[in-house]
Amino acid sequence: MNERLPEGNIYQPHLVEIIKVIPETWDTRTFHIQFQDAALRETFSFFSGQFAEYSVFGEGEATFCISSSPTRMDHLEFSVKRVGRVTSALHQLNEGDTIGFRGPYGNHFPLDKLKGKNLLFVGGGIGLAPLRSLIQNVLDHRLDYREITILYGARSPQDLCFKYDLEAWFHNPSVKMITTVDVGDKDWKGKVGLVPNVLEDVAPSPVGAAAITCGPPIMIRYTLKSLERLGFTPSQIWTTLEMKMKCGLGKCGRCNIGPLYVCKDGPVFSLEEIGYFVSDEF
Amino acid sequence: MCPFLSELFPRRTRTISSNDRRSMYRRIEPERLKKWLGGLRDRVEVLAPGKENGLWTFRRFDGLALPRGFQNSRLPPKALFLEPLKALFEWKSQGDSFKLNPFPPADGQRVIFGIRACDARALRILQPVFVRDYEDAFYLRNLSRTLLLGEACQVQCQGSFCEEMGIDPQDSGDCDLFFREISQGYMVKVLSERGAALMGEGDLFEKASEEEWSSARRKIRGSRKKPFFDLERVRARASERFSEESLWQRISATCINCGICTYLCPTCHCFDLCDLQTPGGAVRFRRWDSCAFPDFTKMAGHNPREEKWRRYRQRVSHKFNFFYQNFQAMACVGCGRCVAYCPVNLDLREVLLEVAG
Repeated sequence: MNERLPEGNIYQPHLVEIIKVIPETWDTRTFHIQFQDAALRETFSFFSGQFAEYSVFGEGEATFCISSSPTRMDHLEFSVKRVGRVTSALHQLNEGDTIGFRGPYGNHFPLDKLKGKNLLFVGGGIGLAPLRSLIQNVLDHRLDYREITILYGARSPQDLCFKYDLEAWFHNPSVKMITTVDVGDKDWKGKVGLVPNVLEDVAPSPVGAAAITCGPPIMIRYTLKSLERLGFTPSQIWTTLEMKMKCGLGKCGRCNIGPLYVCKDGPVFSLEEIGYFVSDEF
Repeated sequence: MCPFLSELFPRRTRTISSNDRRSMYRRIEPERLKKWLGGLRDRVEVLAPGKENGLWTFRRFDGLALPRGFQNSRLPPKALFLEPLKALFEWKSQGDSFKLNPFPPADGQRVIFGIRACDARALRILQPVFVRDYEDAFYLRNLSRTLLLGEACQVQCQGSFCEEMGIDPQDSGDCDLFFREISQGYMVKVLSERGAALMGEGDLFEKASEEEWSSARRKIRGSRKKPFFDLERVRARASERFSEESLWQRISATCINCGICTYLCPTCHCFDLCDLQTPGGAVRFRRWDSCAFPDFTKMAGHNPREEKWRRYRQRVSHKFNFFYQNFQAMACVGCGRCVAYCPVNLDLREVLLEVAG
């Protein structure tokens, strides 16, 4: 994938510089980063759906997907909700600060299987981040795909991430964009309701379609049920799963769901893959 | 896979082929063995069983006396390969400059005398974890720089079930040399070329026959006549009964999540990556972690193994089901440490019996 690090030290990150910080919501920020090593900027590549380990030196490392698209490689983007030690430390950082980047890791969305299909994206909260990479990717090769429907939900209008993207997708005539919130306010013009319920109201056809979903575990669980009710078969549904990770390399032993390691066998799974074994641990 | 690393760290040293069977066995007297081991210290680090704070461990051989009364070390020798705390790299920031210095893997050859067949097997069981897809140079360098001089067991360890796990406590294919004690010294089986090279050209080791080696097999004191459980059945049932919540709740009822089973286990390898701040910089460490701890899988907002029974199920399933699916080996060698030193006497053998039931 990428060049091997000196001494074969697989735990050693590349140095990257934060070139832009975008506040998404009160607790979520998107960081634009660029490798310090000019050669790596040229050679680095990844696929939509892959993730990386990001270091705030002295605080630790945390796992986030790459939320930008490989079709837009002048920099990388990742989005962080402030929830713990490393994420809080990240939120303290500004343009020009240096962080560590290890990756890309994991598998990715199966573009070959999505081509020529109607695509249904179902995202919740910060779970839009990995879908965003794929959505941008797909929009940059728009002719390879048929109808594109994006259903995105958050707790409140203030909790919507990537508002600039939502705006652009809303105005894109080749995209059907639906936003929903659990609780609206007087200015809210989108739908009000939980993502799985809105999904069943919108009722996209499963014929020639593929659904890709990511969000909080509870949303994923009910979205999968709604999709099945709408007639989607497990092989038509992809999701990207979150599990606690440390190494991202399949060694540290904590991100497994059954025998599968989310860091190496995932994070992208078709429902067909995860349906047949244990599913009570995500 | 990086060819460079593979060359540097051979998966395994070349083993002695069956054509060399005649030269596979040696005999050595205790005094000569002591002299030989002592002499090796000029060239390599020699570790042998010794007591520290009243507990057996592997430590630098003093050259004075061969260990007596050693059964097995309290901590598994995995700690010499997957260190409990390992500094991976450091960074220093000074004004605008920011420097990251990787720490190289450990260097220098070493020899471990007296390692048991179970613990030697455990090191091989762990190898693919640290090889597959991404090579962990720290573990692999530790393997390749260490010669294992195993020694046959005389006594069945408390809590052990090595034979159920397919390990012969008096033989090993996982060492470079393997020793069996006899009345006037040791019989030696030569298992690798580097083991043969280590013995040297001199006359310390005498040639011996396969018959002599075989006749040096002793009955293990305290060994059971019948196996405790059927391993194949355990594996199949661990998979079938994964979703049987009441089983796992019952089994794990007395567990107190202390994690000692994972720390004493020669095949448990889960680790954490963490930072230690230093003046003007910090160090990233790899340190042992345990699936018994509630925060092992704790994420923002949810924890898939919040309940104790899920964590205990994870440990048993990882060892006897998932690991087998991924690496075609069980992540257990039956050393018995987790049984002998569990503070609430949670006996893995009984757990496996119940799972297989």
